[in-house]
Amino acid sequence: MVNFSLMAVVNFFLPRRHTGQATSCDNFILDHPARNIQDNGMKILRKLNSLPVFWILLSIPAILMVRGYLAGDIIAMDMLHPTGEFSARFMIVAMIITPLSVIFGNRQWIAWMMKRRRSFGLAAFGYGMLHLIFYIIDMEALEPILAEFWAPGIWTGWAALLVFVPLAVTSNNLSMRRLKQSWKHLQRLVYIAALLTLAHWLLIHDGVGGALAHFIPLLLLELLRVIIIYGRRNNGLTQRESL
Amino acid sequence: MKYSVITAAATALIATAGLSSPALATGKMSCEAGPQSGWKTQDELKADLVKKGWTIKKSKIDGGCYEVYGTTPEGDRVEAYFHPVSLEKLLVSRRGEILFRKQ
Repeated sequence: MVNFSLMAVVNFFLPRRHTGQATSCDNFILDHPARNIQDNGMKILRKLNSLPVFWILLSIPAILMVRGYLAGDIIAMDMLHPTGEFSARFMIVAMIITPLSVIFGNRQWIAWMMKRRRSFGLAAFGYGMLHLIFYIIDMEALEPILAEFWAPGIWTGWAALLVFVPLAVTSNNLSMRRLKQSWKHLQRLVYIAALLTLAHWLLIHDGVGGALAHFIPLLLLELLRVIIIYGRRNNGLTQRESL
Repeated sequence: MKYSVITAAATALIATAGLSSPALATGKMSCEAGPQSGWKTQDELKADLVKKGWTIKKSKIDGGCYEVYGTTPEGDRVEAYFHPVSLEKLLVSRRGEILFRKQ
């Protein structure tokens, strides 16, 4: 039993790798009932570890928030902070995966995160859209929206969302194939979106603690990434020079 | 590479700017209004404002003042501060832009 749960946990973090073939050493337990239970258990775990289930997990905060709003527990104005915060949070998670892989190298959990980077990015966009929808509901009309458009805390938010649009639209395999190398350049716009989001958050919210708590880890990881890459490059240089 | 250096530098700059501008933090207004037992209620303030043509989304206490989110009779979507004893209008701002400040 212990063995089974351990296997299950290990397999939960493994990429899908079902050979369907049994090795000679497996043969004698192939029809063993325990083997079938183990197989079924793994099938369930693989399903739980799939991307669609992950999307459901990412949407749970939104479901809870919208339910609270529809139940009348939260007014539209108070939906702005949580939707915006989750948008920024998921954007930051998507952004730190590369620095983490530079810092920690090839690890299974990094591969697991990397496989879900697009999901995090799209979730960031989805929560951003929810943020916009509740902003419009809260403001009620076009006139007050236009009246405050050029307030620094407002236009930065609009600009961040605008930058997010091409990123979200090209977050699919077809766009990756079509755009080839320029896909990567395009997706680097996320750094602009991040700066605009940070500015928006700092300017619009009372108190800078929340924004800094989210963005300082990103900043530190990016710095570490730069230091490591520079370090490796310099090491490479000295090795070549010494030859 | 270039991108991360630029981003790191710019983020540091913005974060520093954010930290060194306390005007952004709550504390946009403070009221010395004595004990709360002497205050008028938020409902009294709201009723008074509605009578004057305001629509109110939300109200709370901030810095010892009443803070109200809503729309002015002129149609501006604002946050406004009122003295909790006199209910006098102290500050009206729209996303940081000061529309009215009591002299």
